[in-house]
Amino acid sequence: MDDSKGGSSHAAHISPEQVQRFCEFIYRRTGMLFTESKRYFIDRRLEDRIAATGSSSFQEYFSLLRTDADHEIEHLINSFTVNETYFYREDHQFRCMTASLLDAIVHQKEPGGTVRIWSIPCSTGEEPYSIALWLMENWPQVDNYNIEIVGSDIDTRALNAASEGVYGDRALMRLSRDVVSRYFRPIAGGYHQIDEGLRNSIEFTRANLIDPQDMRQYRDFDLIFCRNVLIYFDDASRRLAAENLYDCLQPGGYICLGHSESMSRISPLFRVSRFPDAIVYQRPEADHG
Amino acid sequence: MADTATPAKARVLVVDDSSLVRLYYRTALETAGFEVKQAINGIEAMEKVLSESFDLVIVDVNMPRMDGFTFLRSLRSGAADVATLPALMISTESGVQDIAEARMLGANFYLVKPVAEAELVRHVCVLTGATL
Repeated sequence: MDDSKGGSSHAAHISPEQVQRFCEFIYRRTGMLFTESKRYFIDRRLEDRIAATGSSSFQEYFSLLRTDADHEIEHLINSFTVNETYFYREDHQFRCMTASLLDAIVHQKEPGGTVRIWSIPCSTGEEPYSIALWLMENWPQVDNYNIEIVGSDIDTRALNAASEGVYGDRALMRLSRDVVSRYFRPIAGGYHQIDEGLRNSIEFTRANLIDPQDMRQYRDFDLIFCRNVLIYFDDASRRLAAENLYDCLQPGGYICLGHSESMSRISPLFRVSRFPDAIVYQRPEADHG
Repeated sequence: MADTATPAKARVLVVDDSSLVRLYYRTALETAGFEVKQAINGIEAMEKVLSESFDLVIVDVNMPRMDGFTFLRSLRSGAADVATLPALMISTESGVQDIAEARMLGANFYLVKPVAEAELVRHVCVLTGATL
């Protein structure tokens, strides 16, 4: 079994069959579909986890994974999720939110009513914080409603980073100097930490898009941002995720997907809504059955 | 950080149950040079005004545990140093009765939400005697 020297950076040999077994396992647990074509991506992360757990071979590591010793599934998921993003990414959708979507949403509500917005997956927090910043900077009604922003992700390591709210220059590149100075404070190493009040105003939770049990805890959202994650799923998981999200929306609520994603190709439940700044998808007000 | 040579900034207590609203008001006022503290309801606000000194309290009406009207009533019936603290009420309640009640309870001014940043700062300057 011990075919490598402990701590060696060279991975144990992993056969195509083993990669396939591994990918099936990942798919069953997360809905993310990786194929042999992403072999390099998989190998690198597998090597890291084999080394990190002190396993001497793929076989040994895979046994550990299947028994979920030391929460290895969670560590593995964390290493497989892609967490690179930045503030005000795809800001045409934020513009759409304040120019069109929120007016439609609050039209049904009394002043002081609650507006619930969900960022899933929220990765290391850039998106939910961007939503809050954008609202404070651009929506004249921001103090007229009780806005609740929830950020969820499958990756607990990303969620911890989101709660910390520490970012480098790259993440802040789209923000004006003025916004940075109002809502961030410089800390050691050239990093910036987002305002504590802002950190406390967003609820960060762990959620798995394709787990109906998990998703059942999330209801009554007026607006959901679910961008650039469904592209990692296969057709079946994508539809399952979309229909889980449908149940999380208020009737009449909206969902924003990534620029390369189209709900029309995923699920028939939603209605396409075209606004000047973006195309979004709506859960119809009522099923006229 | 403390610089004894510069005059003290006016201190404002912002009382609202919505964290994003508190943040919005706080950021606007801090940018304009005010020092801001926060409370999430009337009870917490009462504790703060009794233990720290402020130049103005900005208070919402609808809050859990202790609403803005109850807070204002307690404030005005308190000891002289807190009873005279200027109070700016900001609420989604736009009814004449609400505004009349706020005035009767001793609110110095009443604004109906939404309140734009410049408007907020202007009223806070007037009520604290600050100049921008």
